[in-house]
Amino acid sequence: MGQRLVRRFFHKHGTEYILAILAVGVSKILQVQIPDIIGHFIDQFRRGITPHGIDRYAQDLAVISIGYVILFGFGQFTVGKLARIFEGDLRRLLFDHWEDLDADYFNQHTTGDLLSHVLNDVPAIRQALAGGINQTLQAVFLFVATLFMTIRHINLSLTVISLIPLLLIPVVVVKLGPKIRQQSRVVQESLSAMAGMTEESLQSIRLVKSAGNEGVEVRRFTERTDSVYDNSMHLVRLNTTFQALIPLLSGISFAIALVYGGALTLSHHITLGAFVAFTVYLSMLVRPLMQFGNVINIFQNSSASLLRIQVLLEAQPQITEPAEPQHLPVHGPIVFHDLTFTYPHAKTPALRHLSLTVPEGSILGIVGRTGSGKSTLTRLLVRELDPPEKAITIGGTDIRNVAKADLREAIAYVPQDGFLFSSSIGHNIAFPTPQEDPAQIRQAAQAANILATVQTMPEGFDTVVGEHGLTLSGGQRQRVAIARALIKTHARIIILDDSLSAVDSLTEQTILGALRRLHQKGRTLIITSHRLSSLRLADHIMVLEEGQIVEFGTPQELLQRQGFYAQLYAIQSQGSETHG
Amino acid sequence: MANVPQPGTSASRPSSATIRELLVYARPYTRLFAGVVALVIVYNLTQVIQPYLVKVAIDRYLLIPHGRLEPLIAIGATYLGITLVGLLANLWQTRVIASAGQQVVRQLRIDLFSHIESLSMSFFESHDTGRLITNVASDTTRISQFFTQFLLSVIRDGLTIVLVMGAMFLLNWKLALLSALVIPIIVVISAIFRPRLHKIYNTTRSRQSRLIGFIAENLTGMRIIQVFHQEDKQLEAFNHLNIPFQMANVNEFRWDVFFNRSFDLLGNLAVAFMAWAGGMAVFHHTIKIGVLYAFISYIQQFFEPINSLTQNWNTLQSSMISAERISAVLATPPAIKDPPRPITPPAITGRIDFDHVSFAYERSRPILDDITCHILPGQFIGICGETGAGKSTLISLLARFYDVTSGTISIDHIDIRDVRQADLHRWVAVVQQEVNLYSGSVADNIRLFRSDVSDAQVVHAARLTGAHAFISQLPQGYNTPLTPHGSNLSAGQRQLLAFARTIVLNPSILVLDEATANLDAMSEIAVQQGLIEVAKNRTTIVIAHRLSTIRAADCIYVLDKGRIVESGTHDQLVAHHGAYAEMLQKSQLTANAEGF
Repeated sequence: MGQRLVRRFFHKHGTEYILAILAVGVSKILQVQIPDIIGHFIDQFRRGITPHGIDRYAQDLAVISIGYVILFGFGQFTVGKLARIFEGDLRRLLFDHWEDLDADYFNQHTTGDLLSHVLNDVPAIRQALAGGINQTLQAVFLFVATLFMTIRHINLSLTVISLIPLLLIPVVVVKLGPKIRQQSRVVQESLSAMAGMTEESLQSIRLVKSAGNEGVEVRRFTERTDSVYDNSMHLVRLNTTFQALIPLLSGISFAIALVYGGALTLSHHITLGAFVAFTVYLSMLVRPLMQFGNVINIFQNSSASLLRIQVLLEAQPQITEPAEPQHLPVHGPIVFHDLTFTYPHAKTPALRHLSLTVPEGSILGIVGRTGSGKSTLTRLLVRELDPPEKAITIGGTDIRNVAKADLREAIAYVPQDGFLFSSSIGHNIAFPTPQEDPAQIRQAAQAANILATVQTMPEGFDTVVGEHGLTLSGGQRQRVAIARALIKTHARIIILDDSLSAVDSLTEQTILGALRRLHQKGRTLIITSHRLSSLRLADHIMVLEEGQIVEFGTPQELLQRQGFYAQLYAIQSQGSETHG
Repeated sequence: MANVPQPGTSASRPSSATIRELLVYARPYTRLFAGVVALVIVYNLTQVIQPYLVKVAIDRYLLIPHGRLEPLIAIGATYLGITLVGLLANLWQTRVIASAGQQVVRQLRIDLFSHIESLSMSFFESHDTGRLITNVASDTTRISQFFTQFLLSVIRDGLTIVLVMGAMFLLNWKLALLSALVIPIIVVISAIFRPRLHKIYNTTRSRQSRLIGFIAENLTGMRIIQVFHQEDKQLEAFNHLNIPFQMANVNEFRWDVFFNRSFDLLGNLAVAFMAWAGGMAVFHHTIKIGVLYAFISYIQQFFEPINSLTQNWNTLQSSMISAERISAVLATPPAIKDPPRPITPPAITGRIDFDHVSFAYERSRPILDDITCHILPGQFIGICGETGAGKSTLISLLARFYDVTSGTISIDHIDIRDVRQADLHRWVAVVQQEVNLYSGSVADNIRLFRSDVSDAQVVHAARLTGAHAFISQLPQGYNTPLTPHGSNLSAGQRQLLAFARTIVLNPSILVLDEATANLDAMSEIAVQQGLIEVAKNRTTIVIAHRLSTIRAADCIYVLDKGRIVESGTHDQLVAHHGAYAEMLQKSQLTANAEGF
């Protein structure tokens, strides 16, 4: 897939690429004329030259230089520009693709891993398309043109013999280049380890201070800086070796040319001008030979990246759209039929044989320990996870047969983690709506009991939520997440997945009040919580343990049963909270 | 959001004071530096001699009829020898200067880090952690570039220009003067391009970091996007960042090509010019052909060093900005200093006295007002009050994160200002609500990387606090690696770890600063059981989040607006019908509301 993308891109921009190749080719042919002109110029002196002749040579040099620079610049820029356009298109393709993949994929891959595709692989491919192609073009044209000039106009044996040491240059580049790149990555890593340790230490500075641990921290930091030092010096040694080897090889070549070329000049096999021109040609060969090495490295590096991108683009969502989507019925209960669900890659099921009917317009409370399956159930309902066939129906229709967009449109969901984007509060609340409508935002904020808080902020709804919502307290964040769900006034099902844990009792009451009003309008509510006070509106309460329903009934019934619910009730009403 | 380093353009002129401060760090390497200069001179001389050798070969041996081969071989051998010497000199000096630069920056980093660690809490409350990390990591790197790049470039490139000019003047002063015309042109072109390139580069980087930030955030929040099926909307937002970044990339490349080709063109035109001017000189027999060759070679040698010098001018500026930032941190003295003659009692019992303690960050707004209380060794003390009543401040004063504004705090009748902070912190341990984990093993996290804490002590502490049970359940037990965000541990487990960490230090006074506030009811019970063990034989102060936590305290202090308004045991306070009783009632009311 990755390679096909590249091929398609070449095809689409064929004309531009052909023009660029032509421009670079012609520019290199012009470039190799320069030493030839200088050679003829010098020979002309021995044959006798007029000031007019000198003018002409200088003019030729100037005109050819200008032509070469313009053509070469055009070719180089065109190739580089196209590569950068491809890079942008590829980033878009990746993002678009990620949006299609489901929760399981994002559990398997950390954000950091996925980002590294954007940060490393995409630029590596760009580099192959820009630097790789550009350097190949330059190197091939210049190398061929130079050899042509030296063999045709100067001398074959001089060319061959002088070239021998230079041919080692690509070998050196291919051998040392990857080592240098690898080592500079190691240096970067040790630097970020040092920065990471600093971050860790400064973030726990209170702990460090109260434990009197400053000395230990300095020792740990010193270890990190020592490793930065060692790695950097290793890189310096590699770099300096590399930087010395290339001029050494070209120096040997040059010395050979000096002696052998001089001898040929003395024996009149070549002219003095040709000798001078040859020394210039020789220095022109160093660059393309280095580029041959570079190109090999770049392509090797990028082919690995292309492969990774290919794998990524081939990942398919496991939760698929139905072939012939049905409409979600407007009315009817949510029914779980003998629902058993096992996470992909897990051994034991997270939910077992769960059967339950949630009548339209009722409120279901779900309580249970961490890991009992509460969130799994809500995530199945929005098809963030895929339930087995016919295991979950709404109004008699299997949710697997409904388009995901339709299903999710009908549900207002408040997730457990209360993730917010680092944009304005208003933007976050209006997230599910196509247009930001201030009146709607206010209304939703009011229902989530965050309106008053937002109004005290200097910038109101335009206040930007800090990274990962840091400027807001946990409770405020949850309330914004609730407002974001409640702005979907048309949603028939409202799910709160443990979303009231960080709000204080008073706020909880207010939010529950708003939920009750929605309930009165016929909405179905599903609320999961650790805290029983959040479930006081529930018509029915289900107690989950290890994926199974262990208790089910009205709150009063459960209280009388002396089970888990009653036990939890006892703990929570005694250990009540101050919430200053 | 991110601290984008300010480009050199906005920088003040590098002040001589800052340069002097930097050079202090380089002083141990003065001699080494002299050696480096010598090596640079050797290298540069070899570079200048090379075209001269060819000139000699042409004029002396190739231009004469029936020249001999032997001198040519000698010249070839000399050429090779000189190249080798030059390369070795260059290799050596680069390594030496890199090593010196790296050592300087290593020392600077250690000094800076130790200094930051020695500063008082008030400093950390007014300084952004991210900034400080930038100081330690990137600012020091930029300073090392001052040594490894800027100084080297000034010496090497400056010397190259001087030597090339010198060689040209020796050969022919008129032509040399003409060639020197190239220098101002190169400088002007650089001066025009550099700031522009810099600005374009910064635009690209800032657009990139915005785009990457966007992608990172959206990947993290992908389920939200999907659950609310806003994929199209987010793709639109992505395009709004991606396209400008793509355009900035193309633009950056355009200017890059433009700049490099301009230099290229200038170089070739200089050769054409030299061919003309030198050609005329040869025509008038002012110089020989070999000299013309040398001039054509030399004029190309101007470009690289001048380009590098202008580039390094930016390095100098950014190093200076970094140096100024670092000096500012280094110049900050710790607000709290150890006494010149500290009292060092062999052991303490754990008696604490607050006598008329007041504290204010700003004079006008006192946080604590005339607090007096006496805590006996081994007592269990509870403190409660509304948010902002001053509970945590009281603890910060006890740990001497801040000094009292007036009054005294003493432990075993010794004013805490008369002991070393290190001793004080050994006596008083504070467990906070937020548990910071280090990347390292569980054991490392308990012993806080101290080499003097044995494995047995670690396990013992974990057993005492009840953390051992869950630790032995972990895949690698005490060697299980943890990460700072510790997603592999629950909040309750993290808190148990924090207790174990505290017990390893074996403090006489234990303070829990709302340590269990983040836990759910079931985890809290587990933690509280650990606490009972830990509190034995120690003076324990608990700042309460849930009143049930301090029900059993020997004495409960109720704080309000910085003052103690009530004190006594739970039963006394309930009977008193004051603030405590009211708080208790309020909390039970909400729990029992609506038939619950």
